[in-house]
Amino acid sequence: MERYLGVDDVSALASGAGLLGSGGGGDVAVGARLLRHALQDGGRARLVAAEDLPPETVVVHVGLAGAPDVVAERPPGGEDFANAVTALAGALRQRVGAIGVIEIGGLNALIPLVAAQVLGLPVVDGDLMGRAFPRISQTTLAAAGHPATPMAVVGPAADSVIIESASVDAADRIMRANVAALGGAAAVALYPCRADTLAALGLPGSVSGCIALGQALADSAGRSVSDLAARLGGELLCEGRVDEIRPRRGDIPGSLTVTDRSAGHILRLDMLDEYLNVAVDGVSRASAPDVLAVLDPVTFAPVPPDRLRSGQSIALLRLPLMPGWPHGAEELIGLAAFGIDSGRPEATR
Amino acid sequence: MIRIGIDVGGTNTDAVLMNGSSVLAATKTHTTEDVTSGIVSALRQLREAASFEPGDVAAVMIGTTHFINALVEGKNLTPTAAIRFGLPATRALPPMVDWPSRLVDVLGGHSYLCHGGHEYDGRQISPFDEREFREVLDKVADAGARSIALSSVFSPINAEFELRAAQIVESEYPELSVSLSHEIGRMGLLGRENATIINAALRDLADHVTSGLSRTVADAGISAPVYLSQNDGTLMDIDYARRYPVATFASGPTNSMRGAAFLSGEQDCAVVDVGGTTTDVGILQSGFPREASTDVAVAGVQTNFRMPDVLSIGIGGGSLIRSLDGRVEVGPGSVGYALTERALLFGGDTLTATDVAAAAGLIRLGEQDRVAGLDPAMVRAALESIATRTAETVDRMRTSAEPVPVVVVGGGGFLVPDNLAGASAVLRPEHGSVANAIGAAIAQVGGEVDRVFSVDPGSRDLVLDAARQEATDRAIAAGARPDSVSIVDIEEVPLAYLPGNATRIRVKAVGNLALGGNNA
Repeated sequence: MERYLGVDDVSALASGAGLLGSGGGGDVAVGARLLRHALQDGGRARLVAAEDLPPETVVVHVGLAGAPDVVAERPPGGEDFANAVTALAGALRQRVGAIGVIEIGGLNALIPLVAAQVLGLPVVDGDLMGRAFPRISQTTLAAAGHPATPMAVVGPAADSVIIESASVDAADRIMRANVAALGGAAAVALYPCRADTLAALGLPGSVSGCIALGQALADSAGRSVSDLAARLGGELLCEGRVDEIRPRRGDIPGSLTVTDRSAGHILRLDMLDEYLNVAVDGVSRASAPDVLAVLDPVTFAPVPPDRLRSGQSIALLRLPLMPGWPHGAEELIGLAAFGIDSGRPEATR
Repeated sequence: MIRIGIDVGGTNTDAVLMNGSSVLAATKTHTTEDVTSGIVSALRQLREAASFEPGDVAAVMIGTTHFINALVEGKNLTPTAAIRFGLPATRALPPMVDWPSRLVDVLGGHSYLCHGGHEYDGRQISPFDEREFREVLDKVADAGARSIALSSVFSPINAEFELRAAQIVESEYPELSVSLSHEIGRMGLLGRENATIINAALRDLADHVTSGLSRTVADAGISAPVYLSQNDGTLMDIDYARRYPVATFASGPTNSMRGAAFLSGEQDCAVVDVGGTTTDVGILQSGFPREASTDVAVAGVQTNFRMPDVLSIGIGGGSLIRSLDGRVEVGPGSVGYALTERALLFGGDTLTATDVAAAAGLIRLGEQDRVAGLDPAMVRAALESIATRTAETVDRMRTSAEPVPVVVVGGGGFLVPDNLAGASAVLRPEHGSVANAIGAAIAQVGGEVDRVFSVDPGSRDLVLDAARQEATDRAIAAGARPDSVSIVDIEEVPLAYLPGNATRIRVKAVGNLALGGNNA
């Protein structure tokens, strides 16, 4: 199956990606702006299922790593991502046949399409996370033991670093050190793999699924948040007012207390760069890897943790992770992976 | 101490004469195309309403939507060049990218990138290339640009590129005016740069309007200083306004809310402003409007101004009332300004919210007989719908579960019931219809710091103190009496994913104006 995306699809992809960010994943607006430029004048991005590519096709995953504040001040360009793919192709000594999406939540849902337009390559309809996660180790490929390397890290002046070989955790650390040296944000190309590997281990259809979420969000304009939750296939956990915000301190999670408007329940939401865990009246109710989307109850715009204010009205939705993660991945993507003890013997999802 | 507050809106120019906290006179006249003749008649009417000696006036404060309207209409804008320092980074999104093409054409489409800019940690992206900049400068000057907007990546952390370039413009082309992004906006390159370009494009108009305002006030015999209202409800002197006209953009709703708070004596409250077509609800915290958390587009241009957080619903005095399948719908359609022709009360054929209110006896207006026959059940349902939706909007905006005082202003205020759900009290202050002008008259002066600081372990207090002092100094430089300055807001956000303890700190200080005049 394949489809073509035009400039009119960018908004839906961006708002779907905003939901799947679960509060993190960076500002989708920067990616949407770059993609609109890449697709202006009638450009089309070809989206194709991994299983429909020739099995030996080399797929390279592309994204942006770094601080959202740096991205807002020093926005990247499509060339940066194309440079990262080219650098990795050089290290691989192979021709890249398609671009893959590593993270369907947040900014990185859009970046691969930008890179693919510059390079004239198709994009695989799928991803490796099913939402936004903060570490490159939190992928279905890593869960199956597939390495993230060789990978390329490329800055805006085309300064490039190849990480030949490293465990996925070491690759994450080496990448971060290089990103900091490149000014706090950089293009990365990683997880090179064959199309048939991706067909077996990736999360298929998540780009289309993300666009469908974004379309459902747009179609729900003017309706209630419970209507919206139903259309998104999720669950409305609360609509209410933020009572108190405790910002994160380094790796120590922050939290947010919300009083539900109608039922009067007190919700506590734990967060790092993402929203991670919800307890209702002290009882854990939903947690990572499920997507927890905090939205403005009127505009449905996602509210990331650094834009929360006490007194603000919000709606909190639980959305299912994009399907396809293997059983037993809890350790890699569940609460414990974020350093949070859920306080319960087993997941209640 | 007498001061005059003037609000120049799109339709009306409101003026008030205040002595301390009492309103001596309030007037309303039509806004004129040239702004100043409307102010001339407002000042004349004020003198007719309450005799005062022009020499006793300590200050004149003016809020105006003139600059934002000029941008929206694309009129009276200066041919402007935008030059950014950031290469080789940021080349994918050059200045004025995504602007409406109509506006780009009006400004002349001069968009340039030069090498330079900084990284988050203060390193240079590339060194200043003086030859490259001079070539760009000659090109834009030859092409007829008269105003220059300079932006540089991370200039809120290090402004050296913008300052150095400004010096070169000053020595080579002293006739060109220069706007610098680090003086105008905050972090976020495109939003800050856009605000800077808008500011640059308004410089000729600002010269014209500010000298017109000064002259008009002087011609009325008033020797007191003239101030303009800024977005955040504080004042800038007229010379500052001449250089930073973009800072007036959101002063309208801000002044209205601050005026409402002042008239009612409430510092923490909801303000409901009921106009002809919409009802705007905002929240005051410690006397200042709460700011919106999302970025705002002005005339199709994305900016990162801090705008007051206002939620609007389609209910006003002119709202259309329709019965559908036994349900009564109010708005969002409205007869707007044509209320006095089209409403039933005034001999028209359209049922409006004002007609319904008159039928229920909430106001007496026009020909009451013409609404006497309205179905009482329909009238009740319409008013209940208005009350419910207003209460819902206030509820969404207010910041705690406790009921809050609600201050009602605007011509359609009678639509809001005294027993509004969620309101601890519904206050309808006298002079509510000129709340804008009062908001201008009572404004204070402020100073703000919004930058990235490196907060090393153990140095947090020192860094915060330095930021507080800088904000205080800026407020005093803007005209605040030193003993009256206090810090009203501190925000501290660590930058995510970055080493080096980079923290964005924002501090706002506010103080009372040091006033001149005979009775100051």
